[in-house]
Amino acid sequence: MLKSKFFKGLMAAAIMSVAGSASAELNGSVSYIIPFGPGGESDISARLQQPFFKEKFGQDLIVSYQPGGGGAVGWASLNGLNGDGQTIMGVNLPHIIIKPAQKEVGFTTEGLNTFHMFHYTPDAIVVATDSPYQSLQDLIDDARDNPGKVTLSGSGKASANHLAQIKFDKMAEIRTTYVPFKGTGAAVTALLGNQVKAEWGYTTVGAQQGEAVRLLAVAMQERHPLFPEVPTFKELGFDMVGGAYRGIALPDSASDETTQMWSDMISEINADPAFRQKMLDGGFAMLDIDKAKMADFMQKLTDEYLGDAREAGLID
Amino acid sequence: MDAGSFLSALTPLNIAFAFFGVVAGTVIGSIPGLTATMAVAVLVPITFSMEPASALILLGAIYTGAIYGGAYAAILLNTPGTPSAIATTFDGYPMAQRGEGDLAVALACFASVFGGLVGALALLFLAPPLSRVALAFGPVEYFWLAIFGLSLIASLSTGNLLKGLAGGAFGLILSTVGVAEISADIRLTFGSQTMIGGFGVVGALIGLYCIPVLIDLAATPDRHLSIETGVQSVRVGEAARVAMRSKFNLLRSSIIGTLVGILPGAGGSVAGLVAYSEARRSARPEQRFGEGEPDGIIATEAANNATVGGGFIPTLVLGIPGTPPDAVILGALLVQGVRTGPGLFQSGGGSIAYTFIYGLIIATLLMLPVGLLIGRYAYKSIVAIPKAMLVPSVGFMTLIGTFAIRNSVSDVIIMIGLGVFGWVVSRFGFAASPIVLGLILGPIAEQGFVQTWIIGSATENLPGMFFGRPISQAIVAFTLLSLMYPVFAARRRRRAGVDRGAGS
Amino acid sequence: MSNKVENDTGGQLGSLIVSAVFVIVGVVTLYDSLSYSDIDSKVFPRAAAIVLIVCSMLSIVGSLLRPVREPGFGRGAWWRRILLVVSMLAACLAMPQLGFLPAGFIAFGGTLMASMHDRWTIQAAAVFLTSSILIMVGFYSLFRFVLNVPLP
Repeated sequence: MLKSKFFKGLMAAAIMSVAGSASAELNGSVSYIIPFGPGGESDISARLQQPFFKEKFGQDLIVSYQPGGGGAVGWASLNGLNGDGQTIMGVNLPHIIIKPAQKEVGFTTEGLNTFHMFHYTPDAIVVATDSPYQSLQDLIDDARDNPGKVTLSGSGKASANHLAQIKFDKMAEIRTTYVPFKGTGAAVTALLGNQVKAEWGYTTVGAQQGEAVRLLAVAMQERHPLFPEVPTFKELGFDMVGGAYRGIALPDSASDETTQMWSDMISEINADPAFRQKMLDGGFAMLDIDKAKMADFMQKLTDEYLGDAREAGLID
Repeated sequence: MDAGSFLSALTPLNIAFAFFGVVAGTVIGSIPGLTATMAVAVLVPITFSMEPASALILLGAIYTGAIYGGAYAAILLNTPGTPSAIATTFDGYPMAQRGEGDLAVALACFASVFGGLVGALALLFLAPPLSRVALAFGPVEYFWLAIFGLSLIASLSTGNLLKGLAGGAFGLILSTVGVAEISADIRLTFGSQTMIGGFGVVGALIGLYCIPVLIDLAATPDRHLSIETGVQSVRVGEAARVAMRSKFNLLRSSIIGTLVGILPGAGGSVAGLVAYSEARRSARPEQRFGEGEPDGIIATEAANNATVGGGFIPTLVLGIPGTPPDAVILGALLVQGVRTGPGLFQSGGGSIAYTFIYGLIIATLLMLPVGLLIGRYAYKSIVAIPKAMLVPSVGFMTLIGTFAIRNSVSDVIIMIGLGVFGWVVSRFGFAASPIVLGLILGPIAEQGFVQTWIIGSATENLPGMFFGRPISQAIVAFTLLSLMYPVFAARRRRRAGVDRGAGS
Repeated sequence: MSNKVENDTGGQLGSLIVSAVFVIVGVVTLYDSLSYSDIDSKVFPRAAAIVLIVCSMLSIVGSLLRPVREPGFGRGAWWRRILLVVSMLAACLAMPQLGFLPAGFIAFGGTLMASMHDRWTIQAAAVFLTSSILIMVGFYSLFRFVLNVPLP
């Protein structure tokens, strides 16, 4: 046991010195905690990183789940964990911004040592294939004629989906009804079962459900390569770009070197064309916010999300 | 459905995976706190370097083994090893207490294998059409299903209905503690951060069922389980006869389990409870459910293992995981580049889906010898182990198991606190089971209700939403039947008593 | 069981106390629900709290009218029960400082003492000590190394 650990350490050291990127190093397998249950977007993107991490850095990345309180249980425990770089945890926006703004939840946005944001799932309006809505305009027209009667499912309240619904209603000057479900999977099930007329989801829903659903519009700067025929909200005249952003954080006791090492490692995985392709095939959109760019990025999104949430009356 | 995929499931390697998976799963499932989800999640990285079909067989075998393994702890320690085995405790532990633990374990094995086969065959032959069940169930159907589950409280607490209902309502309140799932509030935490995650079901099960048993065991010098003179080995032949006699119950419970397994919002615990409730409703007058009735074990175990095959139906056809372990397996499939959908079932020769299903059937069949063997060993060791060793071992297991659920010490403290509370109230007629039912079914009921209300108000058709849909009407009818059960049962028993009196 | 009369009265009083506690829980839930901002999070806990209060009140009235026969705490040694629970709680509190195994030892030792009804002999002590160490290390390794649970 000791011996193999020693060799693993040596190997990691060798790799790090070849890469020459940082003075910190890994020492054995890494625990990657997802503060949600399995099967969600956070889980799937972590599972996609897993083989690339092993291949590049020679260590196992062990994914475990710590669900509870919409992620709050995990994030509240993060800074109590060992900061030696052997434990990392997934973080999600807007969750880590909205939750602490609502109530005391045991962590703060600034208190989390978020070192990399590696992808996001762009907001999208999804309908079932047999839906009468062929375009976004059909949905808007229906909502104008029947205020409040167009029901859209989505994952959770005060979540990315809910904020997107509130924002879009305002922009399009319509009134729709948002029906919260527990997780994207349940929201999609409700859509496919015709319990609701449309869903506020992500591009990943389109990738997973294939021909069973149709995307009406996606909240990206440019069209997603997987759905070249689906327009962006921008093209249709609505200034909506965003979604749920996902990244990784270390406990705040981690040294600068360790944090830098991790930021470089995740950047390296993110730069791998094979990884990018797998992510895009899954419907994700890539993001390369490393440690250096994090402060500006978080500031911008915090202002944006808190502004939206305040306007919507979700926080004081 | 061709010979090719059947043969590729039969390779020695795949059979070895199925065997290993069933053994590992059974052991994991029998330890309270270790769930099938956790076991499957740990093994996912190993499967990246395997053939997708072999990986699926391994994961499926662990899953099905774990669901069966949950019965051991339920029967021998009154603690469901997995949430699916809750209803197994109702009759399993009383049987074990009066010295029939061996029979109960063997019955659980037969029922599990039968249920697992029914679920797997449904997956093999009927997956695409049955996947529609998952979509037909909307919020209101989930709401009524939860209410149906809660109506079991009425029949569980004969003679003490008020206390049962109070316990159930208390469980419902417990289920709301923490960050609300589908609304934007944090409830009943009183500013404390330890409560933000709420009461986890697995931790609460361990606390409410296991801690009281430990407290009682420690306090008195009596034997843990009474043993009949001349301990037999597992009574396989007798169990087979009992199971044969209850073939209708077996079949009905397996079908219930398959259907409930298909529902993404329900799972093995709900399936077991619904099947138990139905078995009890249609019981013969001389059967005494809750006091060690073999049919109670048969119903629960057949149903919960049927959810394995049932749960894979929406997972593979719709890409919507039926249960949490299915969600892990679905993630592993996506990483391997397998796209789920009806196409998986159409591509014919050598398709991954069919190889996997045959593998699952093989694993289920292997569960018969494996389960009987491990069951025999488990029973003998639990009976033979001295009390001063049994109590600390189980106690240590509850600590480590509860910690492992989400690596949290406060979860362990909550578990112990809830256990002591459960012990105290159970001493005064407030049994643990209604509280657990409330805790498990609370979120399903609340979410279904809120969603139905929102949709109903939006479409200005609230009564139609709640009472107008055929599936809900059927569930409401069953609920009413189940609620009237105590009245019927009393009348039937009286009549049976009269008959017997006349006959003698 | 042996002294039935005494137990009956204990069961009666305890039953009343537990019902009263449940009424309080219901009232606290109703009070807490006043602070929720979202109507969706109020409906369900309120409904459950009302059911709880009504059922517990009726149960109080019922048991006053017709005394119940609950088992009460029954026979059994209190020190054993308390030792069991306290040693497990102590293990939880010590866990972050001592690490899992030493803390587990506290729980194991305490529960062993609590449930030991036979006479202590040197031989029994030796057997128990060895097997408890084996069991604990076995479980610890299973969770720590096979299942990768980050035990403290």
